[in-house]
Amino acid sequence: MIAYFIRRLLLVIPTFIGITIMVFAITRFVPGGPIERIIADARQMQSMGQGGGAGDSVAGAGQPLSEEQIDRLRHYYGFDKPLLESYFSWLGKVLKGDLGRSTRYYDPVWQMIRERIPISLYFGVLTMVIVYGVCIPLGIAKAVRHKSGFDNISSIVIFTGYAIPGWVAGVMLLVVFASWVDLFPLGGLVSDGFDDLSFVEKAVDLFRHTLLPLLSYVLGSFTVMTLLMKNTLMDNLASDYVRTAIAKGMSFKKAVFRHALQNSLIPIATHFGNNVSIILTGSFLIEKVFNINGMGLLGYESVVDRDYPVVMGILVISSLLFMLGNILSDLCVALVDPRVRFK
Amino acid sequence: MTPSLTQKKWQRFVSIRRGFVSFVLLMVMIFFSLFAEVFVNSRALVVFHGGKLFFPTYGEMISGNRFGLAYDYETDYRALQARFRAEKAGDWVVMPLVPFNAYENDLKDGTYPPFPPSLGDRHFLGTDNVGRDILARLIYGFRTAMGFSVILLVLNYSIGISLGCAMGYFGGRFDLLVQRILEVWSNIPFLYVVIIVSSVMVPSFMILLCIMAFFGWIQMTWVMRTMTYREKEREYVLAARSLGASHARIIFKHIIPNTVSVIVTYAPFAISGGIVALTSLDYLGFGLPAPTPSWGELLQQGWTNMGAWWISASVVAALVITLMIVTFTGEGIREALDPKMHTTYE
Repeated sequence: MIAYFIRRLLLVIPTFIGITIMVFAITRFVPGGPIERIIADARQMQSMGQGGGAGDSVAGAGQPLSEEQIDRLRHYYGFDKPLLESYFSWLGKVLKGDLGRSTRYYDPVWQMIRERIPISLYFGVLTMVIVYGVCIPLGIAKAVRHKSGFDNISSIVIFTGYAIPGWVAGVMLLVVFASWVDLFPLGGLVSDGFDDLSFVEKAVDLFRHTLLPLLSYVLGSFTVMTLLMKNTLMDNLASDYVRTAIAKGMSFKKAVFRHALQNSLIPIATHFGNNVSIILTGSFLIEKVFNINGMGLLGYESVVDRDYPVVMGILVISSLLFMLGNILSDLCVALVDPRVRFK
Repeated sequence: MTPSLTQKKWQRFVSIRRGFVSFVLLMVMIFFSLFAEVFVNSRALVVFHGGKLFFPTYGEMISGNRFGLAYDYETDYRALQARFRAEKAGDWVVMPLVPFNAYENDLKDGTYPPFPPSLGDRHFLGTDNVGRDILARLIYGFRTAMGFSVILLVLNYSIGISLGCAMGYFGGRFDLLVQRILEVWSNIPFLYVVIIVSSVMVPSFMILLCIMAFFGWIQMTWVMRTMTYREKEREYVLAARSLGASHARIIFKHIIPNTVSVIVTYAPFAISGGIVALTSLDYLGFGLPAPTPSWGELLQQGWTNMGAWWISASVVAALVITLMIVTFTGEGIREALDPKMHTTYE
């Protein structure tokens, strides 16, 4: 078993290299990178500063920077070396814990990411607590009362929720509760004068900013969780050991909670590991709709701005989390289900 | 005669009310959207002029000269209708239910769009920020999104099924190699790459389709691989092989027909996934090029202009209804094809 997980951990390395090298290559071949942006900025400054004076003789027509300057920029960003060489020098730095600096804000990438992590973590943890806290009891109730009125009505509600993507619900919630009825703020995580508020006011302010995005987040995993709980519990209720228990005179309630429920929690545990990366990286669409400065929005903006060190930095963290989350899932299964043996 | 297995499954699907009604509704919606030009169009359905009938809906545009108007470009049928009514010379124009197409800006003097819904103006759901009819854009946008998702589904399934089958059937080193590739592939942040690529070149319908298919085939490949592995071990495959059937025959005549129920079950969810993905990209501004009617673009307008509640309300309603119908259909199919019948205790 330990050998299996060691092998899984070792397999993370080639996959990680594969992922990063693919995206690294894409960032290389796509136009509009930092050098193009600097040239464009310089051109803009030149056209503003010249004002009819004699043209700068060093730069060519329409080219504000000299060849030498561009070469120095290339060297600075590592674009002068071949793809593999610069990839491995980047990888070497990453292994030493250096993710580089943003080409747009010139801040260290790790610092930028570290500032955003608590915000995504805040929403991620709250979402998890609500999803597990509501879905498990709801799933049990639906399984026990299968085909009843309660089951049918809640199914319709749940499928409606499943059909709407979280961020679309977010837009709708904003239009209704922030614009039409002025109950909640239009976005952001805190109000402008947050630091001056008393503790209670701070809590109220945070709550008002949290509720709508949180609802959008919860909507995303609510249905899957509830139905997973319901279906596995029903599978277990239909199995022989529960039938035996009931035939021997055990009450239905006891059969559910003593026998079937424990076995039904296994798939839920499997799901747990997958949540790790979602908790930390958040959903950039929801963060964009509500203007929350989390990891998701950082990733989105870095792609739009072609801030490649940030793109790569986020990719490193999210892909590692994703793969470790998968392994964690298997570990959870092995822990809760004694029948599972990995070889 | 006893009904065949397929007939039984179909009967079971029909008996699941919610799924079947959704399925019928979905088919009706797709059918009507295919003929959207007849219901939502700036061209007239029928024009009676000078003792002759004209049907301008499909076909070449008819210039204004044809109806005695003093211009060469396409006839403005709404103006023509008003004119014929005023002249009372026996000529008439029948306009579609919504007499606007998805591209024209219907502006008014003195005020600026968006205009709220109005029965008098025939803008049943109002207009968007530049004065285009929302209902028209919703209906044509539905057609675009549906077409997109269906083609995407076909592309993803053809790659996924053939590769997944090959992986499961031949196994061994080939399987192991493709597995690693798939793992790398599925870890590449798909939306990031789409955004990077589509911010470099203006994505046309086909380019966008190719990018999405480039990343979309993975799930089906995994599913088909697992299914083929399972089917390959069954006795009937062994029997077929010992009778001398070729690999191709076993795959196409035996394995694929036995996995069809899984393929069909996944299809509606793939469709709704395609619609959501296209809408998200359009919302962010990385989707289809500008004047194409799309739900994501409308949603973006609704988000920036929250005072115009009718924009976001109608597009969210359309999206929710469509996705719900597709999801309910999918659930119905899943229930009908799932042989599991749960025991319940009274």
